[in-house]
Amino acid sequence: MQGASSGIGYGLKYQARCISDVKADTDHTSFLTGTLSLKEENEVHLIRLSSGGNELICEGLFSHPNEIWDLASCPFDQRIFSTVYSTGEAYGAAIWQIPELYGELNSPQLERITSLDAHVGKIKGVLWWPSGRNDKLISIDEETLFLWSLDCSKKVAQVQSQESAGMLHNLSGGAWDPHDMNAVAAISESTTQFWDLRTMKKTNSIERAHIRNIDYNPKKKHILVTAEDESGIHIWDLRKPKVPIQELPGHAHWTWAVKCNPEQDRLILSAGTDSTVNLWLASSSTSDEFTTESLLDSPTRRIDPLLSSYSDYEDSVYGIAWSSREPWIFASLSYDGRVVVETVKALLSKK
Amino acid sequence: MGVDDVPLDDKAKRMRDLLSSFYSPDPSMSSSSDTTSSSSKRTTLDDINSSSFDPDQYMNLLVHKSNLERLLQRHVEMAAEIKNLDTDLQMLVYENYNKFISATDTIKRMNSNIVGMESNMEQLLEKIMSVQSRSDGVNTSLFEKREHVEKLHRTRNLLRKVQFIYDLPARLGKCIKSEAYADAVRFYTGAMPIFKAYGDSSFQDCKRASEEAMAIIIKNLEGKLFSDSESIQARAEAAVLLKKLDFPVESLKARLLDKLAQSLADLQLKTEEISNASVDPKDLSQEESNPGSAPAATHEASVREFAEAIRAYRIIFPDSESQLIKLSQGVVTKHFEAVEEYVKKRICSTDLLHVLRIIWTDVLLMDEVLHEAALPNYSLEAAKVAVKQYVASTFSHLLHDISDSLTEVHVKQKEGVGEYSLQTALEASKRAVLQGSMDVLVDFRQIIEDNLELLVQLKPLIIDLVQEGFQDFFGALDDHFLLLSGGNNAVSQDQGFVEGTQVDKAFAGLVLVLAQVSVFIEQTAIPKITEEIAASFSGGGARGYEHGPAFVPGEICRIFRSAGEKFLHLYINMRTQRISLLLKKRFTTPNWVKHKEPREVHMFVDLFLQELEATGCEVKQILPEGLRRHRRNDSNGSTNSSRSNPLREEKLSRSSTQRARSQLLETHLAKLFKQKIEIFTKVEYTQESVVTTIVKLCLKSLQEFVRLQTFNRSGFQQIQLDIQFLRTPVKEIVEDQAVIDFLLDEVIVNASERCLDPIPLEPPILDRLIQAKLAKTRHQNPVTP
Repeated sequence: MQGASSGIGYGLKYQARCISDVKADTDHTSFLTGTLSLKEENEVHLIRLSSGGNELICEGLFSHPNEIWDLASCPFDQRIFSTVYSTGEAYGAAIWQIPELYGELNSPQLERITSLDAHVGKIKGVLWWPSGRNDKLISIDEETLFLWSLDCSKKVAQVQSQESAGMLHNLSGGAWDPHDMNAVAAISESTTQFWDLRTMKKTNSIERAHIRNIDYNPKKKHILVTAEDESGIHIWDLRKPKVPIQELPGHAHWTWAVKCNPEQDRLILSAGTDSTVNLWLASSSTSDEFTTESLLDSPTRRIDPLLSSYSDYEDSVYGIAWSSREPWIFASLSYDGRVVVETVKALLSKK
Repeated sequence: MGVDDVPLDDKAKRMRDLLSSFYSPDPSMSSSSDTTSSSSKRTTLDDINSSSFDPDQYMNLLVHKSNLERLLQRHVEMAAEIKNLDTDLQMLVYENYNKFISATDTIKRMNSNIVGMESNMEQLLEKIMSVQSRSDGVNTSLFEKREHVEKLHRTRNLLRKVQFIYDLPARLGKCIKSEAYADAVRFYTGAMPIFKAYGDSSFQDCKRASEEAMAIIIKNLEGKLFSDSESIQARAEAAVLLKKLDFPVESLKARLLDKLAQSLADLQLKTEEISNASVDPKDLSQEESNPGSAPAATHEASVREFAEAIRAYRIIFPDSESQLIKLSQGVVTKHFEAVEEYVKKRICSTDLLHVLRIIWTDVLLMDEVLHEAALPNYSLEAAKVAVKQYVASTFSHLLHDISDSLTEVHVKQKEGVGEYSLQTALEASKRAVLQGSMDVLVDFRQIIEDNLELLVQLKPLIIDLVQEGFQDFFGALDDHFLLLSGGNNAVSQDQGFVEGTQVDKAFAGLVLVLAQVSVFIEQTAIPKITEEIAASFSGGGARGYEHGPAFVPGEICRIFRSAGEKFLHLYINMRTQRISLLLKKRFTTPNWVKHKEPREVHMFVDLFLQELEATGCEVKQILPEGLRRHRRNDSNGSTNSSRSNPLREEKLSRSSTQRARSQLLETHLAKLFKQKIEIFTKVEYTQESVVTTIVKLCLKSLQEFVRLQTFNRSGFQQIQLDIQFLRTPVKEIVEDQAVIDFLLDEVIVNASERCLDPIPLEPPILDRLIQAKLAKTRHQNPVTP
């Protein structure tokens, strides 16, 4: 299962954690990535896959004032993205705009549209609604969930509502339901909480500890995937939050990130601190009859869900992103600042 | 013609044939068979006699074939023949003419003879007429007398009948006395029509008397039928007679069968008693040593009795067969119900055999008298079910035993019994698996080797059952193991982190035991069982060959190999998870940016080492010791690679913010040229391998936690100090020191990268702090065990 080194590489200057697909760019397959360097001048790279699909081109290089812990591209405007950054002592989050005509400038500066500076704690992430134009934005810090109303033209963002998840919960991230603009999942130390944004109340929860990352299945409602430190990947049906509907073994060390393919609802990508990226094919019957017996089912009776394992990385892989324009392409980012873009077309055609 | 007896020469014979053919229209009719055949033989062209004779052709042929001399000769012959024919013809004409003349003479004579006949005939007719009239006269004169004689005869018969009826009561009484019931019934049934016709008038007394007598007879017959002491023939006769008397025999039969059924209930109870008795091994041994012991003997006697009764009833009531069959099948069914009940308890094969043998003797006894019931077949079917149940229950008991011996560790640790119960649990479960399976096999072999006919017929089935049983058993065992690990997992998760530690500890041990037991099953138990099965349970074949043998050791081995690996990983995972939790608390709690100067080694190191020690302790009990060696690239199951980088540490000492950038570049370059070090290698079933894997995973986690923080100088120094302290004790317990060194270095490098002001501690200070900590631990050691 050792992935062939068919990937196309691209090197960042410094260490990096986050990469995002530029969903709004419908003409090219592009990714945004930002570096994480405490002491150097950090950069945001706009990378584009060449039309031949065999080269990664740096389309834009912008300096960013602080090290970037989270980066998310706006799903309806390819020039807008959000970052979460740290100055070493404090955290901040901001919405940026890539300047026009940046290709002609020598060292273009990013335009800061606005800062999301209502946070007190450590900011964990900024969420855009993944399914299209929406003037709302969510930001999550350790204790609180903020719902912002963003106006790009006026360059203002206002806190619409906020709610504390409670001191002890220690939020670490979240995901916005692509099927429901009012539902968002936030992961904390011991549970995953589901919020209704209209009332800002908790509606549901999955009692599961050590969840590191979460992603909604963009094709199937109620289905979401979580990645956990030690115990791998779990697929959940929100209507039955007690028991996962499927378990995948995950990685040799922590499973850091997990992403559902935007088109193939069974295809799941995961990245781990064992310096691999794994491609999984979830069981096809992720519906009602597929319940607890999957836990007791002996592994011999099922086919190996692991489609492929890409292990050509030097360090832990923290960032992965599917391209929404070409959903058989994904980009991965290891801590040493190497972006690798792989295509899974060959694997898919085999199935 | 009077020439037949003269021997004919060929020529004359031919001549005659020709003549006769001339007279008769069909030549084949007149000529005899042999002449036709001979003539047909000669029907060629040169046959002058054939009907299809062609003179021209014949002439041609003759001219062609013969010389002149022969032709001349032939001519002479022919001329002579023609002459002969002519004379013959002439003679025939004369003869015929003669005959014609004599025939005319004869006709003339006949004509003259017939003339006087008619008058004679008329005379004869007259005489016959007179004879007839005389005979009629005699007939009419005798008619009256004959009528009278006939009447008298009828009256006499009637009188005789009346006499018989008047005598009937007396006669019946006589019959009763002499017990000649058959005659009595015959008489009575003979008189029955008369009684029916005139019973109410002329023969009233007679009828009453004879009915009374008949009542006695019926009673006597009934008594005879019910009395067991009477001979079967007598009883059968009685039944037949009763039937003749239109007595409701069916109800009698029903009563008798009821009685029989009741006696069956007694029979059943006795079987129960026997099986109950044999539950107690003492009783059993007594029974076996003394086969004539009371319960068995009485049981057999009662079965014999039952068989006798069946035999009797079959003769008495020939039409009761189906009911009897039903009854006897009922007995067998109840027997087997008892057996099934019995099998539910834990019994050994000898007990089962004992019971089956009793049943089989019963069945044979019954079969003798009631062959149509097909009891052997019936009981064979029932025995199949019983044996199937026995096999199933045996395996479930085995499973239960194993699970008991496994869960013991859990219970005992909860009760606070010593740590070493883990080892004993392992030994106990190993024993339970192997010894239990062997015992089961011995048990089954006993059944197979027994020569009881019932079981001999079932042998292929039992073999298949045993094979299937083992296959299913190991499948179930695997499921059960999973349940033991998975089920407890859910429990411990439900309990959460507050109270979870104690449960977890025992439970992690259990998982480790499970892993080792799985390996044991795969490597030792299965081969042994396979051997045993091959030796005495081969060739079942009742399943049909296309399915192959029911017991597939390869598959089971595979299942348990993967299960073992799974449990081992689960164990490692559980252990690592606990340490991860510890590390997580350590790294998320303090504010690293405002960390104070390090004064001593942080206590999380102690906790970390404690956990490792506990793990080591568990592992030592269960797993074998491996060879201590330094591993490099000999792993195949690796999933990760990284490059060691001793250069970086050197750089670290003189690193500064200005040079950090170039340094990073350098480290990248350095990485490229370093040999890859495999971090996550395949785990083996050795103490060192498991501990090393856990340590590696934990150090990797440590590194990841460090990467998530931002440190000030003091925070960095604290990390440096802690890691430095860890180095020695950790290296002592692992097998791959290079990787550990590398990982520890990585932690420090990562911390320095995440540090705002990475200035390491001076080595003397580092040393002093470590020494202080060591002294402290030494001081504590005598206190804590």
